[in-house]
Amino acid sequence: MALIEAHGLTKKFRQAVKEPGLIGSLKHFFTRQYRDRLAVDHIDLSVEAGESVAYLGPNGAGKSTTIKMLTGILVPTSGSLVVNGLVPYEKRQQNARNIGVVFGQRTQLWWDIPVIESFNLARDMYEIPVKRYKENLAQFTEILGLDEFMNVPAGKISLGQRMRADLCMALLHDPKTLYLDEPTIGLDIAVKDSIRRFIRSLVVERGTTVMLTTHDLGDIEDICKRIVIIDNGKIIHDGDLAKLKDTYARDRVIHFQLARPPESMAAICAALPACETTTDGLRLSVRFDRFRLTAGEIAAAVMSRVEVIDFRIDEPEVEDLIRKVYLGQLSLESTDSDTAAPSLVEA
Amino acid sequence: MGRYRKYASIARTSLEITFVYRAGFVLNMLGTIFYVVAMFYLWQTIFLGSPNALGGFTWPEMKAYLLVSFLLNSLMTWFAEWNMSMDIKEGRVATDLARPMDFQASRMATAFGPVPFEFSSALVVGAIVATVFGGIALPADPLHLVVFLFSAFLATLIKFGLVYCVSMTAFWTTGIDGIMVGRVAIQNIFSGALIPLVFFPDWLRAIAAVLPFQGMISTPALTYLGKMDGPTTALMICIQAVWAVGLILLGRLVWRGAVRAVTINGG
Repeated sequence: MALIEAHGLTKKFRQAVKEPGLIGSLKHFFTRQYRDRLAVDHIDLSVEAGESVAYLGPNGAGKSTTIKMLTGILVPTSGSLVVNGLVPYEKRQQNARNIGVVFGQRTQLWWDIPVIESFNLARDMYEIPVKRYKENLAQFTEILGLDEFMNVPAGKISLGQRMRADLCMALLHDPKTLYLDEPTIGLDIAVKDSIRRFIRSLVVERGTTVMLTTHDLGDIEDICKRIVIIDNGKIIHDGDLAKLKDTYARDRVIHFQLARPPESMAAICAALPACETTTDGLRLSVRFDRFRLTAGEIAAAVMSRVEVIDFRIDEPEVEDLIRKVYLGQLSLESTDSDTAAPSLVEA
Repeated sequence: MGRYRKYASIARTSLEITFVYRAGFVLNMLGTIFYVVAMFYLWQTIFLGSPNALGGFTWPEMKAYLLVSFLLNSLMTWFAEWNMSMDIKEGRVATDLARPMDFQASRMATAFGPVPFEFSSALVVGAIVATVFGGIALPADPLHLVVFLFSAFLATLIKFGLVYCVSMTAFWTTGIDGIMVGRVAIQNIFSGALIPLVFFPDWLRAIAAVLPFQGMISTPALTYLGKMDGPTTALMICIQAVWAVGLILLGRLVWRGAVRAVTINGG
C-alpha cells in the first residue's frame, strides 16, 4: 500500500452568497443564502514513500484544501483517505507525529521567544528522544546556518531566516512526510537555492516523502520528479515531470550568432524543412521538433552555409507548459497514450 | 508524566511571553487597580451612611470581598480569550492542528501558564491597597483560607471553560469583540464582582444561582470570609466543580463540531 492513498476525496464548502448593495446586505442579514462549492472534487491520489511530488494549480484550485485534508486539519466531505496506515482526521495527533508541515505564509515558530526555545518546545511536543534531538538540531543548524539567529525571537528575524528555522522546526522529529506549502514564497534567489538544495538532500539522504505546493517552477524542477496538477478541484494531470516535458515540450530553439549576414536566407530555410526560422541581423533562431530532428543536424545544416561564432539551445520551459495547462490551451487528456501527439488548442 | 510534559512546556512558554509583554501587563494591572480603588471609595461612601453592617457585611469584610474580586479578575486576563479567538479568526489553528497535541489542553496550558505570576502580582498590589485603606478582614479560620484557595482554583477553571467556549464562536462569527464585551458585562453582574449577590432582589439572585458566574467571584469570596456554613460551602464548591467540568466538556463538544463543519480560514 502506498504511503498516501486517496480515493474520491472530496471537500465541499458552504459559501455565503450576498447580493450587491445595501438591499443585498439587508436581505443577507435576514435570510442567509448559501451556495456549495466543491473545493476538492473526487480526486484519486497515490503517493509512494520516498516520492517527491509537486502539487500545482492556480489560486483557489484546491491545493491547500487537499494538503489540509492529508494533514488531518480538515475533515473530508466524502471519499476515503489513508496516510501511512492512518485516517488523518480520525487519528489527527498520531498522524501529526509522522508529518512535518511548513506553510510559507505562516510560521510555526513562537513569535516572541528565541528560535532555539521554539525548537525546544518542538522537542517536548513531539516527545523527541534527547539524543536524536541534539543530533538533528546540530545537523540542521549547520546545513541551514541557523547559528547567527538562534537566540533571536522569531518576530525579529528576516523572512529567509524564518523559513530556514521553520524547515528545521518541521523536521526535528524525523517526519516520514514533509508537506511544504509555498516554501520559497518571497525569498531571494540565494535563499531559495539553499532551501531547494536542502529539501532535495532530504529526499535523497533521508528518504523523506515530500509533497510541495508552489507557484515557483524552480522549486519543482529542483525538487520534484512527479507533478500533479489540480484545477477547479479536479486533478487534470498526474505524471512524471520528464515525461510531461517529452510529451508537450517538443519544440526546442537553437540560437546562432553569425559572423556576417547570410547570403541567402532562402537556402538555409530550404535546408531546414519543417522548422521555423527567424533572423534578426546577425542572429538566427531555429525552432524545431526534437523528435524529428536533432540539434546536431540543425547545427550542421546551418554551419555548412554560414560562419557561426556561437550558439545556444533553449530547453523547453516547464513554466510555459504549465501556463498553457492553466489557460486550458493544452489538453492533457492524452497523457495516457505516450505516442499521441499533444493536442494544442489555441485559446 | 512524559505525555504531559509538552503541556508544561507550553505553560512555561506562555508565562515567558507574559514577561515579554511587560508594558501590556503593567497597563492592564493599572487599569484593574484604578477600578478597585474606585470601588473602594464608592463602597466607603455607602458604608459611611450605615456604620454597622450592610447585607451582613461589615466595612472590613466588604474591603476583603472587593480585593478577592480584584485578585480573581487579575487571573487569566482578556488576553487569553483574545489570543484564542484571533488564532481561530486568522486561521492559525491550522498550525496547532498539525501538531500532536490536544487543542483544548494546549490552550489550557497557555491560559494557566501566567496564572502564578498574575496571582502573586495581584497579591502584592492587593496588600498595598488593603494597607492604604486601613486593613481588611482576614479569614477567621485557617481552614477558610485553604477552602478559599481550592475554590479560587475552581473559579479559574470555570473562567477558562467559559472563555474557551466563547472563543469558539469565532469559527462562526466575525464579531467576536462584541461577544467578548458581552461576556464580561454579564459576568460582572452575575458573578458578584460589582455588587455581592446578597444585595440582589430575589428574582435576580435566583437567576444568578443557576448560572456559572457566581462560582467565579461570589463563591470563593464568601469562602474566604467564612460567610457560609459547612454544608452550604460544600454544596457551593460542588456546584463550582460541576460547572468547571461541564463547561470544559461543552468546549470539547463545540470544538469537535467546529472543526468538522467550518472552514479554517486562509493559507
